[in-house]
Amino acid sequence: MTSPQQDAALPHGGGMNAAQEETRLRRPFWILVAKEIGDHMRSWRFGILFAIIVLASVGSVYGAITALQGGVQQAEFDANFLFLQMFTAVDSSRQLPNFMTFVSFLGPLMGIALGFDSINTERSKGTLSRLLSQPIYRDDFIRAKFVAALLLIAAVVFSLGLLVMGVGLLTIGFPPTPEQFLRVVLFLCLAVVYIGFWLTLSILFSIRCRQAATSALSGIAIWIFFSFFYGMLLNLLAGSMIGDAGQMSLRQQEWLLALNRLSPAQLFSEATTTLLMPGVRSLGPMTMEQVYGAIPAPLPLGQSLLLVWPQLTGLLAATMVCFGLSYLLFMRQEIRSRM
Amino acid sequence: MSAVPSRLSIRSLWPSCLVLALACSLLLALTGAAPRAHAAEGIELYTPYTELSAPPGESISYSIEVINDSSATQQVAVGLTTEAADWQYELTAGGRAIRTLAVKSGESQTLTLQLEVPLQVEKGAYTFRVTGGAAALPLTVNVSEAGTFSSELTSDQANLEGYADTTFSFTASLRNRTGEAQTYALSADSPAGWDVRFKSGSDTITSIAVEPNASQTITVEAVPPQSVAAGTYPIPIRAANNATSAETSLEAVVTGNYGLALSTSNDLLSTDVTAGGERRLDVVVTNTGTAELQDVSLTSQAPVGWEVTFEPATITSVAPGETANAQVRIKSSGEALAGDYAVSLAASSAQKADDLTLRVAVKASVLWGWIGVLIVVAVAAGIYYLFRKYGRR
Repeated sequence: MTSPQQDAALPHGGGMNAAQEETRLRRPFWILVAKEIGDHMRSWRFGILFAIIVLASVGSVYGAITALQGGVQQAEFDANFLFLQMFTAVDSSRQLPNFMTFVSFLGPLMGIALGFDSINTERSKGTLSRLLSQPIYRDDFIRAKFVAALLLIAAVVFSLGLLVMGVGLLTIGFPPTPEQFLRVVLFLCLAVVYIGFWLTLSILFSIRCRQAATSALSGIAIWIFFSFFYGMLLNLLAGSMIGDAGQMSLRQQEWLLALNRLSPAQLFSEATTTLLMPGVRSLGPMTMEQVYGAIPAPLPLGQSLLLVWPQLTGLLAATMVCFGLSYLLFMRQEIRSRM
Repeated sequence: MSAVPSRLSIRSLWPSCLVLALACSLLLALTGAAPRAHAAEGIELYTPYTELSAPPGESISYSIEVINDSSATQQVAVGLTTEAADWQYELTAGGRAIRTLAVKSGESQTLTLQLEVPLQVEKGAYTFRVTGGAAALPLTVNVSEAGTFSSELTSDQANLEGYADTTFSFTASLRNRTGEAQTYALSADSPAGWDVRFKSGSDTITSIAVEPNASQTITVEAVPPQSVAAGTYPIPIRAANNATSAETSLEAVVTGNYGLALSTSNDLLSTDVTAGGERRLDVVVTNTGTAELQDVSLTSQAPVGWEVTFEPATITSVAPGETANAQVRIKSSGEALAGDYAVSLAASSAQKADDLTLRVAVKASVLWGWIGVLIVVAVAAGIYYLFRKYGRR
């Protein structure tokens, strides 16, 4: 991230060559980004969210450490991937969810919180038209809103992730293999993309809805729908499918899974599970033919990535599509001085 | 003896006495064996069994009476003369060896002759003369069979044929003909590298005890060295102690061994294959034996839905020390999960078989990965288009 101080330090006078011209043109964007980040950092909202997430992470790390310390002695965990289990181990006695679960649960909340009022508040306060009367491009404004929030999310996710890694290093006592490290980094990138999806969704709502409360409620409604009700609906559907046969056919199971994968939460959970648990070889139902002759061995990172590639591209594409829609909507909207 | 009768009666009996004496002497002449040896001094030697049969190694005990018919006490020197060599004898009376004994008038003394038939003796009649003063008592011993002081080690089947990995198991019989219990140490002059063991029952032994005139069956197990060449190997075995020994020679004929090894051409036991794709590997069948292998068939055991084919599926023959190549085509199931699967290949001839297990890492098809990339690129292009169209307003 180029800091605004750096940009400001550039000489204003002197010959205007092409590079300086470029810097001058790019400067408003980064100034906007810096201002956005600053606003977020100083806001109560971000502070409370950050505190909740940090507390949750500390709790999950504590749970993972006690689970690992208890579980390794009982040979419950595969000692080869202890480092990855810092993120996935669950202490059953304390009922503390693991880090992976916290990210998938609180991440969307953070994304929605950072984005739900990004446009409509500016609009209702009248700051939008005042801002855009400055020599600032409109697309710079919308992009800066998105990039600033995403950078903030990335900073939070990576700092927490690295914190867990550090505590894991202290607890386990031996360093991870490069592959394990890469898996964790990929998991953190994935978390940023996933939270970015909820961010763009809420930005989209903030453009579409005039009231901040409406957009916040819409975002949270969708989040709650996918987090809780979608699964319940699918369970109902599965119950009706089972019928009198007593069990589902393979085709029905695959249909259910495909429906389930419409939920970004499901995509994220499948992708993180595969990335953080190298033993996972398949995400769908397995037939006896596939299991026969298989040697239970962890997959290499490349194969794990290939396994969840559809999930990864799906999440990334969904995020980009949301952003594209917000961009389109914002660019086509009229901006009056007062609504 | 009854009381002395009157002179008259003796006279009247005289002719009848004469007749009785004549009859007695005639009877004695007819039977030919005089139980008494008459001597001038009136010493007689008497024993009831003057001719008897005995096997070699037997001890014969004669009880000999020395009778003094004279009117005076006699000093009798006793001894034994014989022409047979190696016979041991002892004359004892009252528990002691004796050379001279005194016999009172009209009485008799008993002495014992202990005669040992030697172990090594020819069959036949042997005569001995027991002398007592001037009297002599001829004794005859018929040795019933030829005596030996020897041991016999024989095998009914001294020649066995087998492959190099066969354990040759001979049965030998050890017979003790020495007349005494013997303990034999068993040894084999085995060819270099051979492991020869003696067994009695299921126990490995190095010595064996055999009762006189009895025999014991010994199993001789010979294990050839691993890299034995075809040929005939004599195995002399020997049962010996410091008194007697016996030996025989066994023969093991090795007809060459069978050995088969299956490996991949680069000795790697892992490979990878795309799900639904195929992988070709070269496998090498090596004849590690010394005999020719014929009709080596190549088979496989693979997960369900996989196809493993060999080309050729059967190798006609592999000469000793030679290798034969075949190509194996492993086609994985399109449904196979990413990760490792076990595929085992086997080569088997009628005599030998070998197998190996390949670890096949299945890789997911990259096709869908590229399709995913295409989707992302398309979306990115769309956003870029939006930037171009609406940007810089």
